[in-house]
Amino acid sequence: MRAVDPVSDPVSRFAMRLMEAPALRALPALQKEEQALNVLRSNGPQLVPVFTSLGMEVSRGWREPAALVSRAIRAAADRMMEAEISELLSSRLELSFFPVLSEGRSAPERAREELRSLISRAARHPVARSALSGSLAAARSDIIDKYIPQAFERKKYVYVEISRVQRLSLAAAQLCDLVRFIVLARPAAYLFIATGETQDREAGYSPLQEQYLTKILAGIGSSAPSFPQTLLALGLRSTLAYQPGASNVEATSRLGAIMAHRGRALGPAVVVDRGADSPDKSWFNVQRRNARWRGLDGRMLDELYTIASENGW
Amino acid sequence: MRKIGDALEAVVVVAILLVLVHTFLDDFSILAEWNVGARSLLIWTGLAFDLFFTVEFLVRMYLALSARQGTEYFFRQRGWVDFLASIPLLLLNSLPHALALLAGAGMLSGLGSFLNVLKVIKAVRIARILRLLRVVKLFRGIRYARSPMAQGHVSTITTIAVSILVLWTLGASVLEVAGIFPGLERPFLEGQSQRAFQITQGGTGPGLAARAAAMAAADPTILVVRAKGGAVVYSRYPAAVYGERFLPWDYGYYLANGVEVFADERPISVASSREALVALVAVVLIVLAFLLLYAPRFAMQISDPIHVMRRGMAESDYNLEVLIPRGKDKDDVFELAALYNSVYLPLKDRTGSEGTAAPAALKIEDLQDLARRT
Repeated sequence: MRAVDPVSDPVSRFAMRLMEAPALRALPALQKEEQALNVLRSNGPQLVPVFTSLGMEVSRGWREPAALVSRAIRAAADRMMEAEISELLSSRLELSFFPVLSEGRSAPERAREELRSLISRAARHPVARSALSGSLAAARSDIIDKYIPQAFERKKYVYVEISRVQRLSLAAAQLCDLVRFIVLARPAAYLFIATGETQDREAGYSPLQEQYLTKILAGIGSSAPSFPQTLLALGLRSTLAYQPGASNVEATSRLGAIMAHRGRALGPAVVVDRGADSPDKSWFNVQRRNARWRGLDGRMLDELYTIASENGW
Repeated sequence: MRKIGDALEAVVVVAILLVLVHTFLDDFSILAEWNVGARSLLIWTGLAFDLFFTVEFLVRMYLALSARQGTEYFFRQRGWVDFLASIPLLLLNSLPHALALLAGAGMLSGLGSFLNVLKVIKAVRIARILRLLRVVKLFRGIRYARSPMAQGHVSTITTIAVSILVLWTLGASVLEVAGIFPGLERPFLEGQSQRAFQITQGGTGPGLAARAAAMAAADPTILVVRAKGGAVVYSRYPAAVYGERFLPWDYGYYLANGVEVFADERPISVASSREALVALVAVVLIVLAFLLLYAPRFAMQISDPIHVMRRGMAESDYNLEVLIPRGKDKDDVFELAALYNSVYLPLKDRTGSEGTAAPAALKIEDLQDLARRT
C-alpha cells in the first residue's frame, strides 16, 4: 500500500477534518471514528458525490472509495488516540493502588510505558479496538470519579463487596485509580479473539470464558511485566459474565465492566428532553434489568442507579 | 412564499393584540367619560380593525375554498371564529357607528329622525361582545408549546371556554332586550319614555317650558326639549357641551305632538361597558390561566412523556427513560411510560444494534458539507 501524506492527500485531509467536526468535538478519538464509520456504512450510496469531489474513482461503486476513506479515518483516529492515551496515563492514572496490590511495591517507572504498549496493541486489533472505545471513553470521563466515591461513602453493597469480600483496603481515590486501570487493561482480553467469533455489534463487549482468560494471562503478563499478573487479571476478568451468588468475578472487575459498558454509551452532551430522565439514570435503570443478560452485577447497577437518582445525575 | 405567510401571520397576531387594547379602551372611554374627539378616534380605529379582520377572513376563506378545504378551514381550523369576529362586528357595530359619526355633525340641528335609526344600532350593540373571540385567534399565530398536540389541545379548550362565555353573554343580552330576562335597560328606558310622554303630552302650547323644566328636575337624563323646527325651550347644558360630550347614539329621542325630547342614554352605555369590561377581563384571565397553568401541566403529564416515548421508538440511539413524577404513577400515560421504561427500553437494548452505543452526532449532511470545503 502506498504511503499517504496526511497533509497533501485529499482523502486524509477530509478524514482529519471529519474527525475534527464540531459535532464530534466532545468525543474521544475512537468514538469519533465509530461515528464517522457509522455514517459511511449507513449512507454509502448517497456519498458517491462526496467521493467524486475528493477525486476518487467511483465507476466501480461506492465500496472501494468508502474503504479508503474508512482507512484514512482510522489512521486519523490512531493519531488522536496517541495523544489521548498519553494524557490519560500521565495525568489521570496515578497507579496509587499499586502498593496495596503488589505487596507494598510502588509502580516501576516503565509501568506506564508497558500499559501504553498494551493499549496500543489493543488498538491495532479490530475486536479489542472496539472494546477500547468504551474503555477510553470511561477512563477520560468523570463517571468513575463521580460514582465510586459516592458508592464508597454509602458503605453499602459496592463498599462491602470491595472491602470485605474482595478484602481490598483502598481509599476511594485509590479505588477510582484501580477501576480506571481495569477499564484500560480490559480490552487486552480480546487480543486473541478473531473477528467473527463475537457478533459485530457486541465486538469487544461479549463475555469471555474463564479458561480462555487463564490461557492468555501469561502472554499478556509477559508484555507488561511491571504489573503483577493478579492486577492484570482484574482487568481481563472484567470481561467475564457475572453470575449472582457464584462470586466468580471480583468486585473491582465487576465495577470496571460496568464502567466500560457505560463508557461505550457515553456520547456528546445529550440534550435531555423535558419529561425524560437523565442519561445516567436511564442507562443504569435499563442495564439493571438486563444485567443478567449482559453479565453485569445487577446489585451494583441498582446502587449506581440510586446514586444517580439521589444526586440528580 | 412561506416567509410571506409567516410575516402575515405575525401582522395578524400584532393586530389582535392591538385590537384587544382597543376593545378595552373603547369601553373604558365610556366609563371615564372621555370627550367626543377621543371616542370618535376609537370608532374609526375600530372600523379599521373590523375591516382588516373582515378582509383576513375573506382571504382565508377564499384560499380554503380554492384548495377545496372550505369546510376544513371553517369548522376544524376555527374559521367560524374568524367569521364571527369580523363581518358581524363590521356590519352591526363599527360601520353603523362610523356612518352615524359622519351623519351626526351638528347633532341637534337636524338629526332627529336619524336617531330612530340609531335605535336599531343600539339594539345590536350587544354584538360587540364578539370582539372577545379574537383572543382565540392568537393561538393560531403564537407557538407557545413544543408539541403540536399540546398546542392544539390548549387552543381547543380555550376556544370552547371563551366561546361559551362570549356566546352566553351575547345570548343573555338578547334575552334581556327581548324582555325575557329582567335588566336595568328596560325600566330605565320606560321611565325615560314616560317622562318624555308627560313633556310632549301638552304639545307646543304655553305650558311646554314649565313641563320641560319640571320633568328635567325630576329626571336628570332629560337634556333638551324643543318644539320641532322651533326654538329650544329647555337645555340642561350649554350647546357646546353636547358637541364635546355626546356622540349621536348617546341620545334617546322622543317626538310626539310636535315636541322633541332628547334624553341622556349614556347610563345604559356605561352599564353595558362595565359588563363588557368584566367579560374582557374574564376572557383574559381564562386565557392566561390556560396558558400559564394548564398548558405546562398538560405538557408535563401528557405531551412530554409521549414525546420521549415516541423518540425512543423512532430513534435507535435515543434511550432516555420517561421521568415519572411522584404520585402520578397511576395516570394512564405514566402507566404506559412505566411499561416503556421497564419493558421496551431493556428489550431495545438487547435487540437493537446500537442499543448501548453512543448517540449519533454526525449526519450525512456534515460529510457533504466537509467535502465541499476540502
